[in-house]
Amino acid sequence: MRIDSTHRKWLIFSLVFLGASTAAYVFYVMRAPHGPSGSSLFGLIFGCVGFAFMIFAGLLGARKKVPVWRLGRAQAWMRGHLWLGLLSLPLILFHGGFRFGGVTTSVLMILLIVVVISGVFGAVLQHYMPPAMTSHVPLETIFDQINRVRGQLLEEADEFVEGITASGGPLATAAVSRAAAIATEELAAVSETDVAPLRKFYEREMRPFLEKPDSRGHALADAAKSHAMFIGLQTLLPPEVHETVKDLADICEEERQLRRQAQMHRWLHGWLILHIPLSLALLLLGAVHAVMALRF
Amino acid sequence: MSALGTVELTIDGKKVSVPAGTSVFDAARLNNIAIPTLCHQQNETPVGVCRVCVVDVGGRVLTASCIRPAENNMVVSTTSDKVKAARSTLVELLMSDHPSPCTRQQNTGDCELEKLAHQHGIKKPRYPHRSTGRGKDDSSPSIAVDFDACILCDRCIRGCSEIRHNFVLGRMGKGGQAGIAFDNNLPMGNSSCVSCGECMVSCPTGALTNKVVTGTAFAAGSDAQSVKPEELENLPVFQGVSGTFLSLNKGAVVRRHFNRGDVICREGEYGSTAFYILEGKATVSISSPMAHVKTHGGARGFFTKLTSGLAKRRDDKRSEETDQKYIHIDAPIDLAYENPVAHLGPGDLFGEMTCMSLYPRSATVRAETDCTMLEMLRNVLDIMQRNKNFRAMLDKSYRQRALDNHLRGVPEFSSLTDDFIASLRDKVELIRCAPGQVICRQGDAADSFYLVRIGFVKVSQKHPGGEMVLAYLSRGDYFGEIGLLRGDVRTATCTALDHVELVKISGEDFNRMMNQFPQIRKKMEAVEEERLQQNRERLSVVQSIPLESFLAQGLMEAQSLLLLDLDKCTRCDACVRACADAHDGVTRLVREGLRFDHYLVATSCRQCRDPLCMVGCPVGSIRRRNSLEVIIEDWCIGCGLCAQNCPYGNINLHPFEVIGQDPDHPGQKKAVMKRKATSCDLCTEHAEPSCVYACPHDAAHRVDPSKHFAELLGIAPVQTAKR
Repeated sequence: MRIDSTHRKWLIFSLVFLGASTAAYVFYVMRAPHGPSGSSLFGLIFGCVGFAFMIFAGLLGARKKVPVWRLGRAQAWMRGHLWLGLLSLPLILFHGGFRFGGVTTSVLMILLIVVVISGVFGAVLQHYMPPAMTSHVPLETIFDQINRVRGQLLEEADEFVEGITASGGPLATAAVSRAAAIATEELAAVSETDVAPLRKFYEREMRPFLEKPDSRGHALADAAKSHAMFIGLQTLLPPEVHETVKDLADICEEERQLRRQAQMHRWLHGWLILHIPLSLALLLLGAVHAVMALRF
Repeated sequence: MSALGTVELTIDGKKVSVPAGTSVFDAARLNNIAIPTLCHQQNETPVGVCRVCVVDVGGRVLTASCIRPAENNMVVSTTSDKVKAARSTLVELLMSDHPSPCTRQQNTGDCELEKLAHQHGIKKPRYPHRSTGRGKDDSSPSIAVDFDACILCDRCIRGCSEIRHNFVLGRMGKGGQAGIAFDNNLPMGNSSCVSCGECMVSCPTGALTNKVVTGTAFAAGSDAQSVKPEELENLPVFQGVSGTFLSLNKGAVVRRHFNRGDVICREGEYGSTAFYILEGKATVSISSPMAHVKTHGGARGFFTKLTSGLAKRRDDKRSEETDQKYIHIDAPIDLAYENPVAHLGPGDLFGEMTCMSLYPRSATVRAETDCTMLEMLRNVLDIMQRNKNFRAMLDKSYRQRALDNHLRGVPEFSSLTDDFIASLRDKVELIRCAPGQVICRQGDAADSFYLVRIGFVKVSQKHPGGEMVLAYLSRGDYFGEIGLLRGDVRTATCTALDHVELVKISGEDFNRMMNQFPQIRKKMEAVEEERLQQNRERLSVVQSIPLESFLAQGLMEAQSLLLLDLDKCTRCDACVRACADAHDGVTRLVREGLRFDHYLVATSCRQCRDPLCMVGCPVGSIRRRNSLEVIIEDWCIGCGLCAQNCPYGNINLHPFEVIGQDPDHPGQKKAVMKRKATSCDLCTEHAEPSCVYACPHDAAHRVDPSKHFAELLGIAPVQTAKR
């Protein structure tokens, strides 16, 4: 979620709440003869409120499972998740008096810190990545459709080259598209020898690039190198084929954008792989800690 | 000395005797001396325009043998060097203006000009080709016209006029611009051509060729029997059609036998053929439930689950839902809304729209008794429809059986009396229009009223910013009333979008109807005012927002856009999942679409300027409300054409399990899956659409574009009367 001016109320609330909590904590520390403790009244209050904030933050996932239920707008839940989740860290630190305590509480504290840091990291990503994706991937598609689009690009590129060379071989397809058919008609005068460099380039460079999206270090994956390669290729070919070369360059550009999109998408959502399970573990362990502490 | 009535002459050293008046060409032919020609045919009057048949008769110049009468003691040379040189030059000149190989040469290798060029050893003419082509005419479904291949021999013109007496073809233009023309230089498909095929049979080159119907085929089935051209010629419906033409289209018509209960075609299925009933009866029906998709639940409680169900209009009347009593289908009859079943008999033709324009079948046709039918492809149907006899038969049948329902099917005309309809029966004109043909033009004097019988009509208006489509009209819709009611000129241009058939009511009869039925006049005036008001509103919107890119994306037209702010959207698809959750798992939203600035205009109905979704609906169940939103009427058959046509993917098909006729066991019922088209309903059950409500990142917004983009575009928000 983008942190912008619409968060002002939440920011003010959080700062006021944090200030009040800090003041209460300082007051409590100064009055406690044995120092701060989680089992004291103030410690328990900090612990309960902090855990309540954590539970609320955790409920966002549940809220998302029932998007149609009118339980408040999802964005309100998200704002609460962000700010209350963030506030839970100082509250729990106040609860423990900035001490990690035993094994369980140490694990809990580490979990909380990792969850909050991963959350902040996620929030930063969600703040900066969407506009970056918008500007760097103008040909963006739906993430789940990327492989399908790639397949179409490969097919299209095959057809373009087939339309020019029309000589069978590994690129021969049973059905040549209308676009390729038109190209064939227009390029009837171009001989196989004339377009041999294109065919060679396609088979050695471009097709492997399109076929193996996960391969690294390919020259065509770099926009500047790719541009230079296509310019060079164009000089070797008759003018009738230049339009097709341009089409092929466009296909490579789209493939590069798809790669970029996939990469950015992984960043944008990858952090959740850490954040969600750790949050669940934190809530579970937190509940165990609360029950054990209150009971014994 | 020759005998009385005969002449004697010498041709290439051979003495011959022929009846007086015989041309030199025929004299040679009768004596087995071949003289090449291009413009001359035995069954046509010789005109001597190609000059290829020139011979030397000892005169100052060579003469065209086809028009030169044989004379006594004439000495003719058909093969002298002088003749050969002249002929060769003529052929070479013709070849320089001929696309070699032409279509005919490519298809059958018998282009007479190219054959002659080959005989004269002309491979590549020395003279340059003309720099610009004369074009092609692809408007006829059965005959392709390539003006570049035309050598102006006039054989087609004489075939049309002298042999068939149709007088459609003629000459147009002068000098280098000269060419053949249909009627007053209309595209062949729009002309009064009856598709007899005589011109094509007469043409010596590839200028007029038989069009092979591609992309269409008969459904698989062993029961289809190919019908021989001779058999077809004997059928009354094919009388007057050229036998050669039928031979060329051999295989484009089959005879099929159906047993009682057999399904002949199913609603929603794609096909490319039409059926003509020779014997037996058939039942035509719509098996999709007469209902629309309604979302239930929601607003009553926090945890209420939303479900989508089917509701009839009597149970759930939506705003501006029509009260139409008849459903217009692709057959010579209409179906009643309450009981959508009707019967067809011998002489009935159905499936014309599917065949001519490749629309889905509008209804299910089942054999009521054992039936025999002719199933035909587009080119044959076109021939039949242009055949004068058959046309007359179909028109008569329409006037007698369908005009009543058709007129009364229009809600405004439901109160017409039988007497009045009877008086109109022989007065209305039934007209056909080819795709692209302008039916009436904005600014023309209004002289008639039109009712759409078959096909789609585009209604558009010219504006300073270009043409704006006001509506697409389909079967049962009408136009032309505004100009007549106001006694003024046409306010819009109406163009046939595909193969259109119209019922034309003269201005005089229309005015008689208005005077005789004041209640109809009142309704028509209300419709007129409503349409004019809509036009005014749209015009004000167009004039308020002149930004090209904004207009080009169709954003201006939308009243309520779903925008995703891409600077905020994390591509989590919560909006899509929410939409699916709200509609039984069928999402009406796809997170893809056009981009404007940093906004993605997600795929949800945007009430376009040019609502392509409405083109082709075989039962006319999708239309606009006055507010421009799309409404899908109860008789949607779920064929999915609107979903395909929507350029933004904003229409979806929602499957429902209903109890219906078992297609495999007539008379029995079983649960079958039926689909209904739906578009975004803005989750009207809720205060806010589910997609917007469920977006955790504040990225999804439903906005009025004219207000939302006002600041960005630097314009004042658009004010319209109804918005």
